Amino acid sequence: MRVLVKPAQYLALAAYIVFLGFPLLWLVSASFKSSAELNSLTVNLIPQDWRWENFSEALERQGLVRSAANSIVVALVSTALVILIALPAAYALARFRGLLRTVGTGWILVSQVFPVILIILPLFLILRTIGLTDSLVGLTLVHATYTLPFALWMLQGYVTAIPTELEEAGAMDGAGRTRVLREIVFPLLMPGIVATAMFSFVSSWNEFFFALVLLQSPDNYTLPITLKMFIGGEGKVALGPLAAGSVLAAIPSIVFFSFMQKKLTGGLLSGAVKG
Amino acid sequence: MHKRGASIAASLTAGILLLTACSGSGQDEGGEAVDETAEPVELTFQSLSDQPAAIEATESIVAAWNEANPDVQVEIVPAGWDGIYDKLITQFNGGAAPDIIHYEAASIVPFAVDGYLADLSEHMSEDFVADVPEGIMESVTVDGEVIAYPTELQSYMVFANKTLLDQAGVEIPSGETMTWEELREIALATTTGGTYGLGWGLKSPTAAFMTMAPAFGGTFFEGTGADAELTVGEGELAIPELVRAMSTEDSSILPVSLTQSGSEVLASFYAGAIAMTIQGSFQAANIAADAPEGFDWVVLPPLEGPDGAGQAANPQTLSVNIDSEHVEESAEFLNFFTQAENLAALNEADALIPASSSAQELMAKNLEGEPGWDVVLSSGQHMTDAPYLFVDAYAQWKDTVATPAFQRFLAGEIDADGLAEALQSGWDEITA
Repeated sequence: MRVLVKPAQYLALAAYIVFLGFPLLWLVSASFKSSAELNSLTVNLIPQDWRWENFSEALERQGLVRSAANSIVVALVSTALVILIALPAAYALARFRGLLRTVGTGWILVSQVFPVILIILPLFLILRTIGLTDSLVGLTLVHATYTLPFALWMLQGYVTAIPTELEEAGAMDGAGRTRVLREIVFPLLMPGIVATAMFSFVSSWNEFFFALVLLQSPDNYTLPITLKMFIGGEGKVALGPLAAGSVLAAIPSIVFFSFMQKKLTGGLLSGAVKG
Repeated sequence: MHKRGASIAASLTAGILLLTACSGSGQDEGGEAVDETAEPVELTFQSLSDQPAAIEATESIVAAWNEANPDVQVEIVPAGWDGIYDKLITQFNGGAAPDIIHYEAASIVPFAVDGYLADLSEHMSEDFVADVPEGIMESVTVDGEVIAYPTELQSYMVFANKTLLDQAGVEIPSGETMTWEELREIALATTTGGTYGLGWGLKSPTAAFMTMAPAFGGTFFEGTGADAELTVGEGELAIPELVRAMSTEDSSILPVSLTQSGSEVLASFYAGAIAMTIQGSFQAANIAADAPEGFDWVVLPPLEGPDGAGQAANPQTLSVNIDSEHVEESAEFLNFFTQAENLAALNEADALIPASSSAQELMAKNLEGEPGWDVVLSSGQHMTDAPYLFVDAYAQWKDTVATPAFQRFLAGEIDADGLAEALQSGWDEITA
């Protein structure tokens, strides 16, 4: 009986991976299909005729490459901003037990209460006053601002989980504040930083509404806006090019995650050794 | 120790926030470079054209204008249909709306009611007004003001698999119109073992029922704005009841199609699982492109009821922002944009029906020999006014009351009286 446990576990894992991966697989399959095949009752995972033109159409149409570049810049810079601000703020909130912590925590919760539709108009007016509508700088700041409270909340949890005794032990051994932070706290916080960065990156990468309202020039459009333009009025959808565009759009995100995943694991191991 | 560390961290945070703010201001000063005094007049045209051919047609029309009018230059700002309502609300409220706005009658009317759109009555070319069927012009007239140029529209048409109709011994209707009763008979005649006579994508049935109700004298609404009243009588219930009868009594409608979108039903049409399908007229282009080789199809004449073949018009529109400094120039551009040859080219690219009769004739000439287009274009002449366009609570009633009620009716959960009661009580609740 025990002999069967391991294979059963792997089988369950494989089924789970298929469950998660199948929509992506189907998307890749659709990206190579012709409109006629997509509108057929016959269901094939492997396309009958491989239609590479979907990719060239996706790339030529609506400036997909330019939008991808915009999305990468906005997502990376807003992620960097979020981490830069959230990291020290989270440390302060976790360790500072006073009015600042109460106010800060309250602010985080309150900021999550307002729906986007409620804040978009005042936000638009503020950004317009300072000349940051239709600007990637403005969108980056909005993404960073909007993601910051939750990122702060996430990081605060990670900081709280690090025993203060570890920092005190470092101090007892003669390490200064900076060294304690650099050599004890930051390595232990790395999984939290990576997870927060991933969250921030994905939030910005997928964000549609702010970009829709704030950006006016096609030169500034981000990927979600450009991909939505494949869906037309009167129910018209260019499914093949849309699928191809979505596949291409997923690549930078996958690369970012592959890179960050190693850091996530590395940080966890680092924490285990220190702990 | 911790408090000191925390203070350092807090100071660092404040510093970064300050730097971020300063950085924003710097960009602001560097990025803002709008010269209001620049000549020539520059108009922004927010276009929702989405098909590559339509984008090209729009660019071509604008390029021709820009070349002929060096003093008034038009810049296209492409935007998508998805989320455009929210974008426009913000643009109007934030004073950043473009000069010329592309949208559709059903959605642009609320902006006109709120006073965001210029009255184009005095600017619109008389020839164009005379060239557009009255019902279509009424769809862009709010409180006596013309708030948009109607440009492109669709009608609901019956597409038929000619082979299946021939096999069933059905004579293909060739008159100017065909009656709903004929449709029912053909559907019944072509329903055999594995084939249903009709497939109709009624996943969101309200739009179809509202559009086609005029054929039975159904208007659904009387009055406008907040004073509008809902009427649910025989005319309004005629088509839903016919669909249900075809589904339950005749078994001539593919049941699953009632839960699908129009596009989803096309797969069954291509596979020969249904002999006919009711679709938006623009599907003629998709069917021509996607149907399997040798698939023989025709477009049947516009459907006619006791009150004619009228369908409620909800055209795509071009409006002018009331706050634009160049309303007159914008209207001049739109007079150019809506000339017959331009509208014909745009509609041909979009596979839609031009709003003006002369553009319809021109397009019919251009598409001579293309299957179905002569019939599709003839349906443009049957377009009539759409009272629901001018009803304040229509969108809410449609989404929260009408669509669920029609779906329950088609599923057999409620009868016709129950449907009328659900539609009316839902309306009363919303408008109470």
